[in-house]
Amino acid sequence: MTRPMPVETPSVKPYVWAIGGGKGGVGKSALTTGLAMTLASQGRRCIMIDADLGGANLHTFLGMSSPEHTISDLFRDPGKNLQDILLATPFDNLGLISGARAMLNVANLKHLQKEKMIRQVFSLEADYIFIDLGAGSSFNVLDFFIAAHNGLMVVTPTPTSIENAYHFLRAAYFRKLRHVIRDLKVEALVDSSLDEKEKVGIRSPRDLMAEIHRRDPAVGEDIDRAMISFSPGLIVNQVQRHQDRNLGKEIALACKDFLGIDVKVAGAVRTDEQVLMALNSRRPALSMFPQSNFAKDVRQIIQKLGLVAEVRDG
Amino acid sequence: MGKDSLQASYDLFGLSHEASMDEVEGSFRELRNLYSEGSLATYSLLDDTDRQEKLDSLREAYDRILQSHSHPPDNEVSSERGEEHFANESQKVCIDADFQQMPGLFLQQTRKALGLSLQDVAKRTKVRSSLLQDIEEQRFDFLPAPVYLRGFLREFARMVNVPDANTLIDAFMALYKNDKERQID
Repeated sequence: MTRPMPVETPSVKPYVWAIGGGKGGVGKSALTTGLAMTLASQGRRCIMIDADLGGANLHTFLGMSSPEHTISDLFRDPGKNLQDILLATPFDNLGLISGARAMLNVANLKHLQKEKMIRQVFSLEADYIFIDLGAGSSFNVLDFFIAAHNGLMVVTPTPTSIENAYHFLRAAYFRKLRHVIRDLKVEALVDSSLDEKEKVGIRSPRDLMAEIHRRDPAVGEDIDRAMISFSPGLIVNQVQRHQDRNLGKEIALACKDFLGIDVKVAGAVRTDEQVLMALNSRRPALSMFPQSNFAKDVRQIIQKLGLVAEVRDG
Repeated sequence: MGKDSLQASYDLFGLSHEASMDEVEGSFRELRNLYSEGSLATYSLLDDTDRQEKLDSLREAYDRILQSHSHPPDNEVSSERGEEHFANESQKVCIDADFQQMPGLFLQQTRKALGLSLQDVAKRTKVRSSLLQDIEEQRFDFLPAPVYLRGFLREFARMVNVPDANTLIDAFMALYKNDKERQID
């Protein structure tokens, strides 16, 4: 259950993380910034991509003013690619690709544009890439999430966040499953299993897989093998109450037990006023308060994810 | 078939059939809390029916394993359980349990006589239904510390209008204490 994530120094470069989780305001951008800045300060080359198309503001977390180039450039000039709009930040080893601003229609990326962008992400020059996704479970968001090497879900200890996270997780799982069954050309089997959803009592991915295994064990195994990589990490953010420290573990257990989805607990981050103070003075919390609880918790997450071997405080 | 269902019970707890009773109990507690109504971690994951089904199947599995530990595995079809079912059917509104000897059963019978489900009582007393059920079944191992337990018993007794609540609570607490002491020996 607690085995570390399958990455140390990235064997694949760049290693791509996508940060999602359904609800807005749970701290995805703050955590994305925290993770990328910490790794950058430890000498890894990191790029943050603000994929919150329509509500991008990662630059503000880094204390940068309105960025010169953004993803919207790509739509104005099809000759440009992600590398062309990569911005330097005030921090060593850290690059930023800023999201489109004031282009609301960009939130509805066309399929081809999306595919192209995803390909370009994987050819960027970096050790780690962190894609900060917007709220919601739209196909755009989900496709970045499942295209990444690994996804990270951020939740807060509130029913609304948990509800959105389960919705997001199910949606991402089924989106990935769609891809897998298309690649294996077993749509008919899966669809016919789903057709009898009510009759055989399929309520979760786990039930669906059991039904597929029952109908055709070989196909079931193929799908299992392909889906094994779907194993997002989970960060519980804004933890205040003592009892919420175990929330990540409990959610992971429920995901495994009820949904049949392997979710790995990546850690918990305490509520920290200094994050807000830093944001209000337009400086990253990490550089302004390197000894804050936030900074410490982020470093622990990085250790838990197996991204770096040594962490100074722990 | 008996063997399969026993293995299935262990599967439900994510354990092998060689797991100790302690491990089974630990996992049972953990999962039961996870799927209890008030649990934040499973909020919106299951609807009420699924939640109840899940809790029931955990409890059944736990009982099956518990029984296989105290009886040889071949007489597995639970005779006790069969009787219990039979009893429930035939005496829907009959309250015949001695409320000092079997205070839990007395509460259960009183509740049923009023036509209330565990969920009904849980909703009004704000005590988890799984805990109410543990009280009814006198599963002392799963009950909280005496100071809390007393309060829960009081709420429960008041909700089902037990006439002499204090005597019932004292009787229950005495049984609880006996059970704890026996465990220490």
